[in-house]
Amino acid sequence: MSILQYSFMQRAFLVGILLAVITPCIGMTIVLRQMSMIGDALSHASLAGVAIGLLLGINPVVGAMAVCVAAALGIEGIRKKLPRYSEISIAVIMSAGIGLAGVLSGFVPNNANFSSFLFGSIVSISTQEMVLVCVVSVLVLLAVFLLYKELFYLGFDENAARISGVPVKKVNIVFMILTAFTVSVASRTVGTLIVSSMLVVPVACGMQMAKSYRNVLFSAIGVAVVTTVAGLTISYYVGLKPGGTIVLLEVIWFVLVIVGKSLLGKE
Amino acid sequence: MMRGTVHRLAALLTGAVLLTGLPVPVLAGDAGAGEKLSVITSFYPMYDFAQKVGQDRAEVTNLVPAGTEPHDWEPSASDLAALEEADVFIYNGAGMESWVEDVLATLDNQELVVVEASRDVELLEESESGESDPHIWLDPLKAKEEMENIKDAFVEADPEHETFYEENYAVYAQEFEDLDQEFSERLGEAERRDVVVAHEAFGYLCAAYELNQVAIDGLSPDSEPDPRRMEEIIQYAEENQVTTIFYEELGSSKVAETIAEEIGAQTAVLNPIEGLTQEQQEAGADYFSVMEENLAALVEALNG
Repeated sequence: MSILQYSFMQRAFLVGILLAVITPCIGMTIVLRQMSMIGDALSHASLAGVAIGLLLGINPVVGAMAVCVAAALGIEGIRKKLPRYSEISIAVIMSAGIGLAGVLSGFVPNNANFSSFLFGSIVSISTQEMVLVCVVSVLVLLAVFLLYKELFYLGFDENAARISGVPVKKVNIVFMILTAFTVSVASRTVGTLIVSSMLVVPVACGMQMAKSYRNVLFSAIGVAVVTTVAGLTISYYVGLKPGGTIVLLEVIWFVLVIVGKSLLGKE
Repeated sequence: MMRGTVHRLAALLTGAVLLTGLPVPVLAGDAGAGEKLSVITSFYPMYDFAQKVGQDRAEVTNLVPAGTEPHDWEPSASDLAALEEADVFIYNGAGMESWVEDVLATLDNQELVVVEASRDVELLEESESGESDPHIWLDPLKAKEEMENIKDAFVEADPEHETFYEENYAVYAQEFEDLDQEFSERLGEAERRDVVVAHEAFGYLCAAYELNQVAIDGLSPDSEPDPRRMEEIIQYAEENQVTTIFYEELGSSKVAETIAEEIGAQTAVLNPIEGLTQEQQEAGADYFSVMEENLAALVEALNG
């Protein structure tokens, strides 16, 4: 029996690989800026967006994306006020997202809708969601390609970037909006777990495996793609939860690289 | 001392909640002569059964609000305060409300009559996933036993009106039996016996009418399915000419839709009656009307 005979598995592989390529592109800048928990914060904000969408009678997916963008810009704003503690901005926005979602969900007349908009799994992706992921992926890839140098500068030293003529503010805003789109679309499609860990863990692996910015990025994408394909395959044949399997493979890879490096270093 | 604190806390919370306009359970006093019994139920079927027994002699408050999954729910401080003031507390038991034990342990209310509606009801053995199915009320005859336990508690809390409660119970006991009769007859002549559902919530319904429940996932709604299980279900459904993949109204339909698309089947709602949405309640739906809808959906899926 071929693993690809079912269309749900075909979609799982297509969307999984696309996300495995684009999330490390965004994750790179996020990790360098010490904002690794941003995936969690934004996916909680998108919960609040779903509730607002349902309450105002607009499409909850649009609501989720809008609130996610607002949250990402909020994180950026707070981070500017407290540049040395960027994780505070994430904690504040995450609290706001969870609190708002909790309070607003009490007003949503039919909670059934609410839970069905929160649920995402890589093995139950609809055609509409697949199209949305493809659109976001193209946007992210295009932006990362066009803004490669700017993002590189920004990741390491914002002041130096400003001095060398990078339009820091504009690039920051574009970057945060892309992050928001990716998280809000992907967390509903494949689940929060995969998105928030794939933003960070493959980049962490890449940093241990390579030295230059470019090689770290490519290694991270490599790790993400391999763990996604392997995780889906294992979960199909062994009967495991696909989200958890993929994330655990990433973490195992990270641990092996760290252990391997320290063993080699001792010799 | 404890009680005083709880009351003050309750008053404060009630004030705060009223300001924000959120719904708040009614804090009724102890029922004396002529006063209504203050009854609190855990979730919808318990609420419906309690109302049918108590009618206008009881002020029934439901803890888990309309449209909320009872598995995901936790009591708030104002719910605890309401329980301190209540005369009767009714819950299903059999693993449905994981919070009940903790909540009861914190209460000071000495007079509270606590009813586990599933007490003495014969339970099914554990399912293949090793979890026990709490959805007892989906078997109308077992639901009748649950209502009997509830009726006994009303009599215990308010013995003066025993005949009133007994008479109400007798009316609905007959309705449960009629419903059971209808299910037996209409499902007995169905062409197929396989019911593919998103979650294993229909063990009692299927056991009562000799249907075969095929669940995509275990008991917990909204958990992620694994692809191998999905493949098994797809093959099973194709081999057995399954035409309908059922999902629960309060859960996500995504997995059911994915599988239905794969085999060219349709999806439909099979309601485990863990809660009704606001629209359903406003439209006057109750346990019996939803069970009739379930029967209609099953009859359509298993024939033709």
